[in-house]
Amino acid sequence: MKASVASLYQAVELNQDIPPLLIGERCNPNGSKAFRDALLAEDWEGCLTLGLDQEARGAQVLDLCVAYAGRDELQDMTTLVKLFSNSCKLPLMLDSTSPETLAAILPLYPGRAIINSINLEDGGANLDKICQLAKKYGAAVVALTITEEGMALTAEKKLAVAKQIYQLAVAKHGLRPQDILFDLLTFTVGSGDETMRDAALQTLEAIKLVTQQLPGVGFTLGVSNISFGLRPAARKVLNSVFLHEAVALGLNTAIVDAAKVLPYASISDVDREKCLDLLYNRRDSALMDFIEHFEQAVEKDDQTSAEDLRVEEQLRQKVLQGNKEGLEDLLSELRGRWKPLDIVNNLLVPAMREVGDLFGRGELLLPFVLQSAEVMKQSVALLEPYMEKLADEGRTSILLATVAGDVHDIGKNLVDIILTNNGYKVHNIGIKVPAETIIAKAKELRVDVVGLSGLLVKSALLMKDNMAQFQAAGLTQPVLLGGAALTEKFVAQDCVPNYQQPVVYCADAFAGLKAIREFEAGKLAATTWEASTLVANRPGPQQEVLERSQEPPEVPFLGRRMVEKIDPEVLFDYLNNAALFRGRWGYRRGKLSKAEYDQLTAETVIPLFQRLKEQALAEGWLQPKVVYGYFDCVSEAENLLVADSGCTKVFSFPRQSTAPGLCIADYFRTAEEGGDKVSFFVVTIGAALAEKTKELYESDSYHDYLMLHGLGVELTDALAEYWHELMRIEMGLQKKQSTDIQAYVAQGYRGSRYGFGYPSCPDLEAHEPLFELLKPEEIGVGLTESFEMVPEMSTSAIVVHHPQAKYFAV
Amino acid sequence: MRYICTCCGYVYDPAKGDAMNNVAVGVEFADLPEGWVCPLCYATQDKFDPLD
Repeated sequence: MKASVASLYQAVELNQDIPPLLIGERCNPNGSKAFRDALLAEDWEGCLTLGLDQEARGAQVLDLCVAYAGRDELQDMTTLVKLFSNSCKLPLMLDSTSPETLAAILPLYPGRAIINSINLEDGGANLDKICQLAKKYGAAVVALTITEEGMALTAEKKLAVAKQIYQLAVAKHGLRPQDILFDLLTFTVGSGDETMRDAALQTLEAIKLVTQQLPGVGFTLGVSNISFGLRPAARKVLNSVFLHEAVALGLNTAIVDAAKVLPYASISDVDREKCLDLLYNRRDSALMDFIEHFEQAVEKDDQTSAEDLRVEEQLRQKVLQGNKEGLEDLLSELRGRWKPLDIVNNLLVPAMREVGDLFGRGELLLPFVLQSAEVMKQSVALLEPYMEKLADEGRTSILLATVAGDVHDIGKNLVDIILTNNGYKVHNIGIKVPAETIIAKAKELRVDVVGLSGLLVKSALLMKDNMAQFQAAGLTQPVLLGGAALTEKFVAQDCVPNYQQPVVYCADAFAGLKAIREFEAGKLAATTWEASTLVANRPGPQQEVLERSQEPPEVPFLGRRMVEKIDPEVLFDYLNNAALFRGRWGYRRGKLSKAEYDQLTAETVIPLFQRLKEQALAEGWLQPKVVYGYFDCVSEAENLLVADSGCTKVFSFPRQSTAPGLCIADYFRTAEEGGDKVSFFVVTIGAALAEKTKELYESDSYHDYLMLHGLGVELTDALAEYWHELMRIEMGLQKKQSTDIQAYVAQGYRGSRYGFGYPSCPDLEAHEPLFELLKPEEIGVGLTESFEMVPEMSTSAIVVHHPQAKYFAV
Repeated sequence: MRYICTCCGYVYDPAKGDAMNNVAVGVEFADLPEGWVCPLCYATQDKFDPLD
């Protein structure tokens, strides 16, 4: 059975997938001045803050110790255990050797605690009492190898004491071996004391021996003791290397300052060697060499300034903060310590991985992720002259394409950005790519994985067909699918069965990254979907009876008109800010409080918006144009027959198959009812903005690329909103311009406009009669072979005046 | 508490409910049926941000 400990809120396994379990050491008056000050001032909230702070910095369990001269341990412990157990998610390690204190606080703790600690200092009297308590309250126990003779210094002595304690705790008191965490004690190798030169070796050796002779037990270690007396910056490195060595031998938990544990990969070879020489006592001069080597490293506790940070850490910070300042100098300094390729693989890629994890936890927003990716990209570009091109061999490679008939590339390009900047080789072969080309390229480039993207409903259907074609052509790569119209269910039921290799639905670029990692680990599995009782709602008007006596409005003219002079600035008044900031740009509220989100909006989002707005207007990136028209029409079942100078154009609309059975044609009167008026529009903000976004993408300005693209899409919608309002005013359905755009978002106006390709009329083929009526080619808007409009930042609609007309889905 | 759809800007307000989805007045966002989607753009509940 797995050994876990728990708080009121969560259980934590002692044996983590990636050991060690980090136990935060700072809630201890003997180790942390901040905690001591708070304790002596009885500032309980301050004590708690130190705990929460460690949680935020990566601790998984919190050690809590209040034993301090002049304080009442029992009373302080009672107060703090109550406070911590309600306010802190992490399980507690109750750090007391007093059976009385433990007997009082264990019943208060609403989880499974770890007791720290038992030993044989008094011959075993306290050990008996504490083991009984541990058994009674189901706690795990830390056991220190101390006897009446004192602390065990040699590996043999540590093993002997551990065996003695094991005998008592397991055989006599019935504790489970996995619930005993042996602390085999460690002492500094930094004092120069000749008798302690092999202190690290003795501890490491003891871990090895106890693992062999007392199978199943766990370990913990106060790691930072190893470096006592050395300088802070050097300690951090030495502690981390020692921890790495101990974990390799079986250490499963460690008592540390979680914020100061360095990833082993981020420690340079030179630094590692100096540490290992000292730890393994490899030569007489090891300590002097170590001190000399780390002479330059200075660090002020907790308030390190950039200059004082190790250069490796500085690079990590640059990536995490998306900060490109001084990158060139920093990298040239790092090149003196690392091979360029190792800078990429050991420093940059892990930092990007961290960025992805933060995004996954909702702690980093998409725009900041893109800024981090820019730092990564630029760093690689700066390193490339000094290394062989990133060797393609051994790197997982991915082919990316937007499927045939679909011009949308923002989603695919985001995947490209994220994968490339996580060290993968990406072949991005563009938009509107037919299956035949994808197959040929996948074979030619021998990629490991194929990724398909597409925004349209039609693209989803096409992916299903593509799977069958891939199968027939004998492709062997797993396929990742992404796109707005896809769902897990569709992929699992319609795509997976058509292809023998895994077909995997990816909701966003990070799901794609996760899938690639699973592929590398040999764990990539096809998307599955289980029919649940969960039925997605289909929102829409619930009424069934349409008012038939509605008189058609007066229209200002019949036929089409083109408008080419529109002030671009007007569009900004019609922008849907929520959709732009939160949706397109990714400035989600996430875990922020309202005040924090307001601050983010005021300090980051609005200034960004102002910058792009001013740039777009000054540089002439916006060229709004409209073609629109009013026409006589009659409805006939699902068809709308539109009269245009003697000809009739037929628009066929789908009908809901279930109640209330709505169809757009129903909102118009039949010939018998006297006929009706219908209007249409096609609007575009032109091709210049699309050109600009393309330039940004090609110059690796990922952040501005996503931002400007999002702004363009929303400005296109703003133009549609603006023009729809103008048409309602022209038809006398509305008196004047509104100032409340928020109300427009929720269709706070008479009638409705339905976009072709959207849920009320998903079929893009209606663009054919529409283009015959309006001739949007004259404002520069054309159709692709699959009836999609180009440029991308164009939109179309049928405008319905019937008051009951609102959005619905067929 | 009100919630906003990050895809289209629709605001779910418990004081108004959601007639398009047959949701009565007074239902908190957290208590909406699991299959509830944005009545305007069909975005799922994870696409909503708290507003207040």
